[in-house]
Amino acid sequence: MKKFTCILIALVGGFLSVHAQTFSVKGNVTDEDNMPLLGVNVLVKDQTRGTVTDFDGNFTLDDLSVGDVLQFSYVGFEPKEVTVLNDAFLNVVLQTDSESLAEVVVIGYGTQQRKDITGSVSLVSEDVIEELNPIKLENALQGTAAGVNVLPSSGAPGAGISINIRGIASNTVNQPLVLIDGYQGDLGTINPNDVASISILKDAQAAIYGIAGANGVVLITTKSGKKNTAPVVKFDSYVGLQETSRKVPLLNATEYALILNESYANNGEEIPFPDVSGLGTGTDFQDEVFDTAPVYNHYLSVSGGTEKITYSIGGSHLYQEGIVGAEKSDFTRNTARFSLGIDITDELNLTANTIYTNIDRKSINENGLGSVLFNALNIAPTFGIDEEDQEGILGNEIINPLSQIENTFNDYDLNKFNGSFALEFTPIEELTFTSRLGYSLTNSKGKDFLPIANFGPSKVFNNTRSQVNQNRINDNSYTYDLFGTYEDMYDEAHHVTLTGGMTVIRNWGDGLFATGFDVPNNSWEFADISLARGASDALTTSAYVYDTRKLSFFGRLQYDYKGKYLLSGMLRRDASSNFSPDNRVGYFPSVTAGWIVTEEDFFNDSAVIDFLKIRGSFGTLGNDETGATNYYRALLNGEATYVLDGQLINGVALGNLANPDAGWEEAEKTNIGVDLRMFNNQLDISADLFREDRKDLLVAGIPVSGIFGGGAPGAGSPTINAGTTRNEGVEFSVRYNQVVNDDLDFNISYNAMFLNNEVVSVEGTDFLPGGQFGVGQPQPARFEAGFPIGYFYGYRTNGIFQTPAEVAAHPSQLALGAEAAPGDLRYVDINGDGVITPEDRTNIGDPIPDATMGLNLNVNFKGFDLVAYTFASIGNDMVRNYERNQPNVNRASYILDRWRGPGTSTTVPRVTTGATSNMVFSDYYVEDASYARIQNVQLGYSFNGNILEKLKMDRLRIYTAVNNLYTFTEYRGFDPSATGGAAIGGGIDYGFYPLPRIYQVGLNLNF
Amino acid sequence: MKRYNFKPKTLLVLLTLTFSLGCTEEFLDETQEYNISSENYFNSEQDYYNALIGVYDVLQSTYVNVLLGEIASDNTLSGGESATDVIGFQQVDEMTHTPVNDNLDDVWDWNFAGVQRANYILEFKDKTDFPGKDQIIAETRFLRAYFTFELVKWFGPIPLSGDERFVLGDETTIPRSPVSEVYDQIESDLEFAINNLDYTAPQVGRATKGAAQALLGKAYLYQEQFQESASVLTDLINSGQYHLYGTQGDEDYANLFEYVGENSAESVFEIQYTGEEGAGFGCLQCSEGNVAVGFQGIRNYSGPLFESGYSFNVPVQEAYDAFTDNDIRRYYTILDIEAWAAETGASYSEGYKHTGYFNRKYLPRKNDNLGDTNLTQPNNYRAIRYADVLLMAAEALVRGNIDEDRARTYVNMVRERAGLDPIDSAGATLLDVIYTERRLELMGEGHRFFDLVRTGRAAQEIEGFTTGKNELFPIPLEEIEFSQGNWSQNSGY
Repeated sequence: MKKFTCILIALVGGFLSVHAQTFSVKGNVTDEDNMPLLGVNVLVKDQTRGTVTDFDGNFTLDDLSVGDVLQFSYVGFEPKEVTVLNDAFLNVVLQTDSESLAEVVVIGYGTQQRKDITGSVSLVSEDVIEELNPIKLENALQGTAAGVNVLPSSGAPGAGISINIRGIASNTVNQPLVLIDGYQGDLGTINPNDVASISILKDAQAAIYGIAGANGVVLITTKSGKKNTAPVVKFDSYVGLQETSRKVPLLNATEYALILNESYANNGEEIPFPDVSGLGTGTDFQDEVFDTAPVYNHYLSVSGGTEKITYSIGGSHLYQEGIVGAEKSDFTRNTARFSLGIDITDELNLTANTIYTNIDRKSINENGLGSVLFNALNIAPTFGIDEEDQEGILGNEIINPLSQIENTFNDYDLNKFNGSFALEFTPIEELTFTSRLGYSLTNSKGKDFLPIANFGPSKVFNNTRSQVNQNRINDNSYTYDLFGTYEDMYDEAHHVTLTGGMTVIRNWGDGLFATGFDVPNNSWEFADISLARGASDALTTSAYVYDTRKLSFFGRLQYDYKGKYLLSGMLRRDASSNFSPDNRVGYFPSVTAGWIVTEEDFFNDSAVIDFLKIRGSFGTLGNDETGATNYYRALLNGEATYVLDGQLINGVALGNLANPDAGWEEAEKTNIGVDLRMFNNQLDISADLFREDRKDLLVAGIPVSGIFGGGAPGAGSPTINAGTTRNEGVEFSVRYNQVVNDDLDFNISYNAMFLNNEVVSVEGTDFLPGGQFGVGQPQPARFEAGFPIGYFYGYRTNGIFQTPAEVAAHPSQLALGAEAAPGDLRYVDINGDGVITPEDRTNIGDPIPDATMGLNLNVNFKGFDLVAYTFASIGNDMVRNYERNQPNVNRASYILDRWRGPGTSTTVPRVTTGATSNMVFSDYYVEDASYARIQNVQLGYSFNGNILEKLKMDRLRIYTAVNNLYTFTEYRGFDPSATGGAAIGGGIDYGFYPLPRIYQVGLNLNF
Repeated sequence: MKRYNFKPKTLLVLLTLTFSLGCTEEFLDETQEYNISSENYFNSEQDYYNALIGVYDVLQSTYVNVLLGEIASDNTLSGGESATDVIGFQQVDEMTHTPVNDNLDDVWDWNFAGVQRANYILEFKDKTDFPGKDQIIAETRFLRAYFTFELVKWFGPIPLSGDERFVLGDETTIPRSPVSEVYDQIESDLEFAINNLDYTAPQVGRATKGAAQALLGKAYLYQEQFQESASVLTDLINSGQYHLYGTQGDEDYANLFEYVGENSAESVFEIQYTGEEGAGFGCLQCSEGNVAVGFQGIRNYSGPLFESGYSFNVPVQEAYDAFTDNDIRRYYTILDIEAWAAETGASYSEGYKHTGYFNRKYLPRKNDNLGDTNLTQPNNYRAIRYADVLLMAAEALVRGNIDEDRARTYVNMVRERAGLDPIDSAGATLLDVIYTERRLELMGEGHRFFDLVRTGRAAQEIEGFTTGKNELFPIPLEEIEFSQGNWSQNSGY
C-alpha cells in the first residue's frame, strides 16, 4: 500500500502560485460506506502541490481559486477530480476500484477483501456487464469468468440459458445456486443493468451454502445508492439490428433434382425429375425464414444518498424480435426497481429492495423434429413459398416452414416481484446481527393456440379442430437468514471473524392447465378457454402443487495472523423436505487456508512481485435437487384416465416410484490456487487446480425393474443415490493493464479452463440413456461409468467402401439393417468378432468441451474506448441431427462430394433410396463443434469536460457495437454453441435457432 | 471510528422477534398436507373407485400385445416405413428377436404396471369398508388376472407378490413362479370375480361376470384343462347374455368393427378407447386412443372411410387366400388396397414389406380425434368376443372328448354368420375345422400366434419359429440384469 503512496507523493512539491481572490477549502474523504479514508492524496491539478487526509479523512488546502481542480487518489479506489467552485466544505466519496486488492468481495453471509480470499472466486464487475451489454445476464459470464460455461438452449429471444461451473457432475440439475442479495433467485429474469457485481464461488468456500451449493454459487449484488452523494441520473440506451449469424449451405432446386434422380436410379427406381431444365435455383427457404429484426433497450436510474439514507431506483424496457418468425418469436422485458437503505439509529440499519419484472415472450417450434428450422433445411427447394406438400412426398413431419410460422400462435407472460428486507443491528462495533428476508413471487400465464390447419396428407401438424391450451403457474419462494458476525483483532495480530446463524428456504407453488377446443372463428383473437369447449363436454384440465422446505444452521470461523496466514473453517447442518425424516439431515464441513507470501519480511522489497498468495480449500457440499421433489414417497399423480359409458373418467394412480432411502448427494471439492501480481500490479495472474468428486449422486429416472409399475402412464422411475462422477481440471487467468500515458491505457485479459469429466460409477444399471437421433433409433447419449457424462454411443466409421472386393473383405454389416455395397460407410468391428453388430458401438465423442477460454481487450485512448470480448470452446462434439432420413428431402450441399464410383469420395457415402446401414448413429453424424467466437466488439466515445459542462452532464458516451460478430468453426450446422442444455442428450442439433448477430448503437448518459 | 451505545432493549426486541418466527424441524414436515401420498389413501369408496380407474387405464396400453402378437403370427408381416422402422416389430416378425427389444420390454413393463396398480388396491383392501366393495375388489382381481394372463402367455414363469405391491429389492429376491402357480392365482382371481360380478356392469366398459367366465375358460384352455374350460364357457353361453352381432334385430355384420358395433351384444370384454385426448410419441402408453390402429393405418392414405397411418402389421397373401370366396368375413377382415383404390379413387403409398393388404378390422376410420391423430384413434379393442367364446368352447368340447354335437353347433353358429354352410365333420377333422374357423374369425385380433403355440402348430406355420425357444418371448435383458441372477432367461435366448 505504501509503495503506491510514495509514487504519488513524489509528484508533490513545487511552488505556490500567487493568485488574486484565493481562499481555503476544507473537506472530508470517505469510502462508499461512509468510512473515513486516511492518507488520501489530494493534489491541485496542474500545480505541484497538495496534501494528505488525516486520521478522520479531513484535509485543508489553502490558496485555491475558483476553477481549480482537486485530484483525489488512494490505492484501491478510483481516482476522482473535483472542481472548486467556492470555499464550501467538500464531502468526497471515493469508489472502490473493482480490480483492486482492497475490493470488497461478497462471499456469502459476509464480505472479504479480495486479497484475503482463500477460496476460488470469479468476479464480474458492473463495468464488464456494461461493456458486454448482454440481453440476458448469463451472457455476461461467457468468457469473462474462468471456469464458467454458458450454454444457450437456443438463440431465440428470451430463451433459457444454462450455466455450468467447472463442468457438470449430475445427470439432471447442474445449475448453480443463484443468490440475489442473499436470497434464492433466478438469473434468467434479472435485468443486467440492475446488477452491481457478480461473485462466483467455485470451490469448497461455497460450503457456507452447504445446501444446494454443490454446483457452485452465483452471488449477485444489485445496485444501491451511496451515502452523501448528489442524485445521479443515468440513462443508457441502445438500438440494434439482428441477423442470422449463419445459413447452412443447401442444394438448390436443380442440384436437388439431380441428387434425387441419382438416388432413385441407384436403387433401380424410376427417376422423379426426368427433366431438370427450368428448375433453376428454386426457393431458398432459409432466406424466406430468416429476417433482420430489431432490438432495443432503454434504462433509466436515479441514485444517491444523504447522511442516513441511500436510494436507487431504476426502470428498463427491452424489446427483441426474433430473426425467425419476427414478432412470433419476440421478447419484451420491463423492469422496475428500488433499493433503499436507512440508518434508523446508529445501531440499526434497514435495507429494502424490490425488483419488478414483466416478461412477454412468444416462440416458434424449435430444436426438434419438425421444428421451423428443421423444416427449412429439409423441405424441397422445388416447392413454392406457399406450397404445401400435397403429395406427401416428404414424410409425415416435414411441412412448409412458412405456413408453420403462419399457424403459430402463442404468448407467455410473466410477472415477478423479488426483493429483500434486511435489518442490521450493530450493538457494539465488533458485532453485527443480520435478519434478512428475501422473497420471490412469480406468476406466469401461457397460451398456445393451434388453428385448424392442413399441411398435406397425414402430416403430424395437421389439426382438424382448433385448440387452445392455457396455463397459470405460480412460483413462490422465500429465504430467511438470521446470523451474527463478530469481528475483532487481538494483540494487533490475531484477526478473528466468527459467523453463525440459520437459513430457512421454502419454495412452493402450483400450476393449472386447461385445454379447450373449437375456438370461435378459428382465430387467435378468440383463443381463450372461456370461449372454447371441451373435446366432448368438459374441458381437459390438470394441475400440480409443490412445497419444498429447507432448514440450515451454519457457523464459520475466519482467522488471520497479521494478514499473512489466513484460515477459515465452516460447518453447515442442512435438512430438506425432499428426503424422508430419517435421511433428511446432512453435515457439510470445509476448511480453507491461505498464505500471503509477500507479507513476509523475507519478501520485503521485491521490485517485481507485488503480491503473492498461495491458497487451498477442501470441503463437502450437498445437493438435494434433481428437478423432482419428495423422492421418498409416492404421490398419486400418475395418469388414470379411462373411458366408461363413452366418457373420459379420471381416477387416481401412483406417480413416480418412491425411494424411502434417498439421501443427500455430496460433492467433495478440492482446490489449490495461487494469486500473483507483478510489475506494479500491472500483471495479475491466478491459477487453480481443482477436483470435484460427486458421490451418492441422486440419479433421477434411474431404470429399475418393470415389475414396480414405473412404465404405467404418468408413473416413472425413482430417484436413487446411485452414481459417482468426477470433474478435475486447471483454471488460469491472467490480466495485464498499463497506463501508457494520460491519453492511453489498456488492459488485456485471458482466462481458460481445462476440464476432464468422467462418470466413475453408476449402480443398478449399466448406463442411463438420453437424447434422440433420427426416428426410431436407440438413444444416442449415455451416462456410463468410465466415460464423460452424456457421451455419444455409436459406430465408428473407417471411410467408404470403394469396391465390392472391399465389401467382401470386411465383416458383414447386415445386422445394421442392410448388406453393405460400394459407396456405403464402413464400420469398425470394435469387438473383433468378425461381424458388425450393435455390440460394436463405442464412444464417438461427447458434448463437453475439453477447454473453454476467454480473451478480452479494453483500450482507452483520449475519449475513445474499444472493447473486444472473445470466447472459445475446444473439444466439444455435436450430433448433426437436422437431416431427415427420407428419400425426397433437401440435403446440405456437402452431399455434392458424395461417393459416385471408386475413388470419388472417402467421406460422404453414396445416395440411394434403397436400404443401407448408413443412417445408423455413427461418427459420420458427430462433428467437432469446437469454436472461437468474437462475442462483442464495442467502440465508444466519451465527450470531454467542456462539452459536458455546457450540456450540464457528468457523462456522455456514444458507442457502436457488434454482438456475436464472427464464429470460427468447422461445424456445419447453424451454431456450434447449441446444446439443448440436457446433461445426457445435450449437443444434439435439430436445426438450432442460431444466436443472432446484433449491430448496435447506443448512448450512456449521466447527469 | 465510533463505538455505538449498547442498547439491550433493542437487542431483546430483535431476538424475541426472531425466535418467535421460530424454526424447528417441524417446519419441514408441513409439506405433507400439500399432497396425499400413496400410503394415506383409500379412505372412502370414491378413493377405491378412483384407484380402480387407474387399473383400467393400463388396459389401453395392451394395444402392443395385440399388434405385436399379430405380427408374430403367420397372418401378417411387420411393415412400417423401412427395415429399421420400429426395429422391435421387425425382429419379432422375422423371429429374430432377442432379449434386447424395446417393444417386448413395453409388454413386460406395461402389463406389470397393470398388476402393480391392481395390487395397490388389494394391499389396502381392508382399510375402509363400504357397501359394494366386493364389486370393486372383484373387478380389480379380474384386471389383475387379465394382465397376469398376458404376462404368462408372453413370458411364462413370472414373479408374483400376492396381494401386495412389489417394492424395490423384490427383483433380487422374489423368484419367477412356475406357470402352474401363476395360473392358480389367475383362476382364483377369476373365480372371485365370477362370484361377485353381474352380467351387467355398472358402467359400459367395466368387467362383468361374463368377462371373468370367458377369461377363466381361456385360461383353462391354455392349460389344456378341457373339462373345466368347457364347463365355465358353457355356463357363459347358457346365460343367454350374448349373441353373435348381425344375427338379431337390425344388426349388420358389416358394422361389427365399426364404431356402431362397439360394446355390442357380442362383446364379452372390450377395451375402451377415445380420441378426445391428445397424445404424443413421448408416452404411447398415456394415449387414450388405440395406438395400434394408427400404426396399422394405410401409409399416406387419402380417400374415403379411412384415415392414414404407419402401415404396420400388413396381412399376407396366404392369409387372404385362407378365406373362401363366399366367406363374407374376408372383405371386412382384410382390405385389398389396390381394389379399394380402383373402386374409390383413394391414393396411398407403399411401405416396407407392402403386401397390398391391410388389417381392416382395426384400420383408422375417419373421425375427429385429437393430435397426434395417428396415436389417438378411438377404435375399441374387442378383447373377448362371443364368437371367440363359442370357438373356445367348441375346441374344449372336442379336445376334451366331451360333446362333439355341441361343438359342431357352436362352430356352425360362427360359420353361419359368415355366410358359410354348416359342417358335419367329426374327430380330428372337426378339430381342424375349429382351428381354421378360429384363425379366420379372429384374424387381425392378436390371438393367432398364441393359438398356434398352445396347440403345437407354431413351428409348422410360422417361418423362422424355433421349437423349444419361440414358444415364449425373452425376458428383457435389463430385467435379467436388475434381478442380479435371481431370474434366469427363457430357454434359447
